[in-house]
Amino acid sequence: MWTIFKKEFKSYFLSPIGYVVVGIFLFVCSVFFYLTTVNYRSIDLGSLYFYAAFYGLMIIIPILTMRMFAEERKNGTEQLLLTSPTGMAGVVFGKFFAAMAVIAIALIASLMYFGIICYFASPNIVVVLVSMLGFLLISGAAISFGMFASSITENQIIAGIITIAFLIMSLFIVDLDIGIPDISLMSFYQKFPTGVISLNEVVGPLSFTAMFIAFTIILMQRRKLVK
Amino acid sequence: MIQVENVTKKYGTFVAVNNINFEIEEGEIVGFLGPNGAGKSTTMNMITGFIEPSSGKIIIDGYDISKRPKKAKRQIGYMPEGVPLYNDLTVKEFITYKKKKKKVPSKEKKQKVQKAMEDTGLVDVENKLIKNLSRGYKQRVSMAGALVSNPKVIILDEPTVGLDPKQVTEIRSLIKELGKEHTIILSSHILSEVSQICNRVIIINKGQIVAIDTPENLENKVVKNNSIYVTVEDLENKMEKIKDTLTDVQELKLISENEDKTKKYMITSAEGVDLRKNIFDTFAKEGITIFEMKKADATLEDAFMELIKAEDDREEIEEQEEISQEQDGEQEIEEQDVKQEEQGKEQKEIGQDEKIEQDEEESETTTKENKNEEENKENNDKNEESGNKEKGGQK
Repeated sequence: MWTIFKKEFKSYFLSPIGYVVVGIFLFVCSVFFYLTTVNYRSIDLGSLYFYAAFYGLMIIIPILTMRMFAEERKNGTEQLLLTSPTGMAGVVFGKFFAAMAVIAIALIASLMYFGIICYFASPNIVVVLVSMLGFLLISGAAISFGMFASSITENQIIAGIITIAFLIMSLFIVDLDIGIPDISLMSFYQKFPTGVISLNEVVGPLSFTAMFIAFTIILMQRRKLVK
Repeated sequence: MIQVENVTKKYGTFVAVNNINFEIEEGEIVGFLGPNGAGKSTTMNMITGFIEPSSGKIIIDGYDISKRPKKAKRQIGYMPEGVPLYNDLTVKEFITYKKKKKKVPSKEKKQKVQKAMEDTGLVDVENKLIKNLSRGYKQRVSMAGALVSNPKVIILDEPTVGLDPKQVTEIRSLIKELGKEHTIILSSHILSEVSQICNRVIIINKGQIVAIDTPENLENKVVKNNSIYVTVEDLENKMEKIKDTLTDVQELKLISENEDKTKKYMITSAEGVDLRKNIFDTFAKEGITIFEMKKADATLEDAFMELIKAEDDREEIEEQEEISQEQDGEQEIEEQDVKQEEQGKEQKEIGQDEKIEQDEEESETTTKENKNEEENKENNDKNEESGNKEKGGQK
């Protein structure tokens, strides 16, 4: 798992993908930093992370995940993965954590807004850290879905579109009121921005992540039979 | 080292590999031969655990690849067909990655990577990105990736495709060198390569094993007639009458007339007769100058073509028989059963014939010796008949 993680993480930053993802995230953050924090002259950064998650995830997650397995399948390097002694679980976790690491780097870079505010006032670091933890958790859930989408097709574009569609749909399904239980990822990101860790919002994204990681592992193992 | 037992791979109703069995000993170099789509790569992919067989068992160094994949895969270094590589990595990074992934003990890590690069001639390009390499170098990177963890079994799918002649000889000698310590399976379209490198050859056609033998034995199997090629200068056109002077000649055939007024003939003699000395003497007496004389050798290529053709013909005949016998339309599924039934019937018939013959013999002959002799004769006749049938099938 560790070798896969290292290789994947490296290739994110050998290719433009890693920089693009961090760049877009910081751009979205900057926009909402201005619209919320600066405009309202507040020292609250929670709403910055809330809006960054609301609008940012649907852009950055597909970019991160669409190539994960689709590219391997297209280039034939899937053969190298499946014939290596590393089990499928190791491969999937390695790739998952590599994508998480990119998000973590983006979040660390977003600490600069905290730094800027520190210059003028004394904001609460705990709220920022809790917001970041929550952001990481729902990103994990979104990544696991993107990874699953990538493992069912060999076309990166299709994998990306499936992920975007899912993320956008999950935003609006709340408003549709058609009796479907609320599966929006954002419903797990209501209390984090206020600096409160609720058990509900921790278990929710974690179980969602576990489910789609399991789906991906099962799907990849089944590839051996149908290939 | 590798046991393949009753392995079948189906894609829907299409049978890619049909019930194959073979065993590979430690230290052998085995070549897979077969036309396109014969099931070579499928078989190799199943041995490496990339795809799961529909039924059957594959055991590598005592570990079943389906049940204990991690241990079994650790014994294998695999160079896949079409050389899939991570284009974003440098050569050195890729080989190091491959080595780590195979969980080699951490000691002497760098040395092993270095050695793999030296063996495959990659030291000059070790810091280049793989996507910038030429096809030949990519091929070598893929090979280095298979070697680096020093596995017991090395599987190479078409290792010399896309290499220049110098590299081909280098890679061949590398494979031979590796064969001293490792078990190697390779597939190739180049038959001379296989006959040079491999101890044993497995010929696959339409998902079934047609032959498993050493290259030499396969070549000997197809040498049937004694043909000699001679290129002569024959100004007085004496070759037309030479058949009268030269006894034992079955066939004399003009193959080509060259620009320098020499002619190439093929002379066929009866089996077991070597005409070369005779030709030399007779031609000298007749005033025909020999420019070149060569005995026709059967190569692995001939053996391959014969075996594949024989198999195809046999299947055609069987299919025709089936069509005439069965009109219900459930042919595909019952194909095998029908074959078995047919074989059974044939055996029964033969058995009955033998009984009748034996009864006749008993009534006619008086001494045991005579009986035995006659039985032997009949057996011989039968053998000849079946031999003729086979030949007929091949044609």
